[in-house]
Amino acid sequence: MDLIGISLNHRTASVELRESLSLSNSEIVELISTLKQSLLKEGLVISTCNRTEIIGVASSQNVSFDDLINALLNFKKVDGINSESFEKYKSVKIIEHLFRLVAGIDSMLIGDNQIFKQVKDAFQIADEQNFIGFYFKKIMNYSLHLGKRVITETAISEGAVTVSFAAVQLIEKIFSNLSKKSALVIGTGETGEIAAKHLRDRGVARLALTNRTFEKAERLAKELNTAVFPFDNFKDHLHKFDIIVSATGSQDFILSKSDIEKTIKKRNYESLVIVDIAVPRDVDPDCRNIENVFYNDIDSLNIIVEQNLLKRRNEIPKVEKIISEELNNFSDWLNSLQVSPIIKALRDKFESIRAEEVQNNINRFSSEDKEKLEIITKKIINKILHHPTVELKKFVNDNSNQDLNRMKLSVIQELFGINTIKEQEKN
Amino acid sequence: MISTIHLLNVLLPIFYFITFLIYLYDFQKEDKTLSNSKRLFLFITLCVHLLYIILRTIAFDHMPITNVFEIFTLLAFSISFSYFILELVTDIRGTGMFIIILSIAFQTVSSFFIKDLFFVREELRNNLLGTHVFSALLGYAGITISAVYGFLFLMLYNQLKQNKFGILFDRLPNLEILEKLCFYSAVIGFILLTIAIVIGVIWLPQSNLNFSYTDPKLLGTLAIWIIYGIGIVRKIYGNLKGRKLVIVSIIGFILAISSTIISNFLAKSFHSFY
Repeated sequence: MDLIGISLNHRTASVELRESLSLSNSEIVELISTLKQSLLKEGLVISTCNRTEIIGVASSQNVSFDDLINALLNFKKVDGINSESFEKYKSVKIIEHLFRLVAGIDSMLIGDNQIFKQVKDAFQIADEQNFIGFYFKKIMNYSLHLGKRVITETAISEGAVTVSFAAVQLIEKIFSNLSKKSALVIGTGETGEIAAKHLRDRGVARLALTNRTFEKAERLAKELNTAVFPFDNFKDHLHKFDIIVSATGSQDFILSKSDIEKTIKKRNYESLVIVDIAVPRDVDPDCRNIENVFYNDIDSLNIIVEQNLLKRRNEIPKVEKIISEELNNFSDWLNSLQVSPIIKALRDKFESIRAEEVQNNINRFSSEDKEKLEIITKKIINKILHHPTVELKKFVNDNSNQDLNRMKLSVIQELFGINTIKEQEKN
Repeated sequence: MISTIHLLNVLLPIFYFITFLIYLYDFQKEDKTLSNSKRLFLFITLCVHLLYIILRTIAFDHMPITNVFEIFTLLAFSISFSYFILELVTDIRGTGMFIIILSIAFQTVSSFFIKDLFFVREELRNNLLGTHVFSALLGYAGITISAVYGFLFLMLYNQLKQNKFGILFDRLPNLEILEKLCFYSAVIGFILLTIAIVIGVIWLPQSNLNFSYTDPKLLGTLAIWIIYGIGIVRKIYGNLKGRKLVIVSIIGFILAISSTIISNFLAKSFHSFY
């Protein structure tokens, strides 16, 4: 089995380059049929916003990295990209890379658990295109098992690592159930829009928007199916909201401390969370001194993000240990592929010789000795093969010198005239 | 049996301490493998404690309610038992160490000073007294737990106000949940305390010649009952919430502790049994 793979990712290529080689699902299907024609017997094509990867079992030993790169570039009709923009992997290094990818430690955002789902989808597409064969079925099982272990046994994906998720994490430390809360987003620029979408996705009961340009707020409100207030009088409605997210481009405060004091009084001192993600800030930070008002600006959210990233980084050794365990399991399986058929073939060969010789000489023995002959000859064969069988089984667990093990196996095959691996692959 | 009781008396603070350490370790490391085993260990500790209480009752022929150190062991049990039920019902597992530490304190004091009392006053063997004391103890356990959650609420509230995102931010439940736990524990404590007061006021004057309506313990308990009663009513009508609510709970708890100390150690009271 000749495993081969290329990867264009955030370490090797700019975002423009990554965008130019990004593949949609239908393009992946098309590319798989191209790859199947002459380059790969089986494999996988992964494409996300941060990476495009092709890995598989080469159709012949002549298939090179450049062949895979050219196949991708020709398919996307992109020129001017050299092979240095790709990472290249061979043999078991590909599996290690795939495992790191699934575990989320190869991602730009450490612990990104989206990638696990994306790889799962890639396996599914490949399977639907009959691109998953004997080896990749096993690789898929090992990858998915590893992904699940990483999620359940480590905290690599826990905690918010973007400002908008950090804001949600913070809000959820104050309120227990967002589906009973209402939120107002002030400013519908890019940041405000992301915040509004996050809040809606977290199930906020009532979401409203306001923006200096009313039409812009109205457009987003239509898309998100939310209420919209004119900017001139939004302060009159502040007390109706448990969460206020502000993200305008204003150079001055749009909400003073006294505005917030009036609001909290009208709310009968029910908790109010203010998330000010504007730079410069929109809300007077002095309002954090008002009882039951929780004010957070971009700096405090960044503290949460940094802390969570640090925690994720501290989980990497645990993840690497799991990867190493699963890689060992995979190597054992790979080695057993070579050893088990040889043991079986060796035993079959000796048994056929024994049976043939017994058959040829059976008439020389009395009827009561015939049965004894069967037993004795079988015992002899078992004793002869006991030591070689034990030694062969040791190869499965011995990853220290695989080349030497492979050589020993081929010597045994040569000596006894047995050839099994190709038959196994056919099956 | 007596030697078993003595052995359990020594072992109980150790059991609570080990349970506390497991909860502490889990709080700091959030080790997923410990989240169930710590609950199991608390359960084992409670079983051992229950066995100890039963053995004492059989061996000394009275419920362990006849002096403050017997009551302390019951209080230690009631606090951890109430927390155990709360943890099972709410599945909020991150706050156990803050509660169990109180059981350690009560049980340790009890283990040091408790005596083998074979002879007690006859009225202390009465079943109604047992109900009175048990409901009072469970009531106190309720308001103790309420105060602990109130205290945790204040700590998290202050951290959030100061934009400090440390281990309390990571591990504690959110403010709304802490407030609810504080409130519901106080309500349960209040109901049980009401039962204790009603039994006490109806039955004690008949059975105890020294009974007095001006007894410091009775007045203290009444003051605590009124504070919690007002707090609960104001919360129901929406006039008391968040920080102010938990402060009321903490004040009630401090008063309860003060009342116990005054009535049992300083003042002359018919509630002092030794």
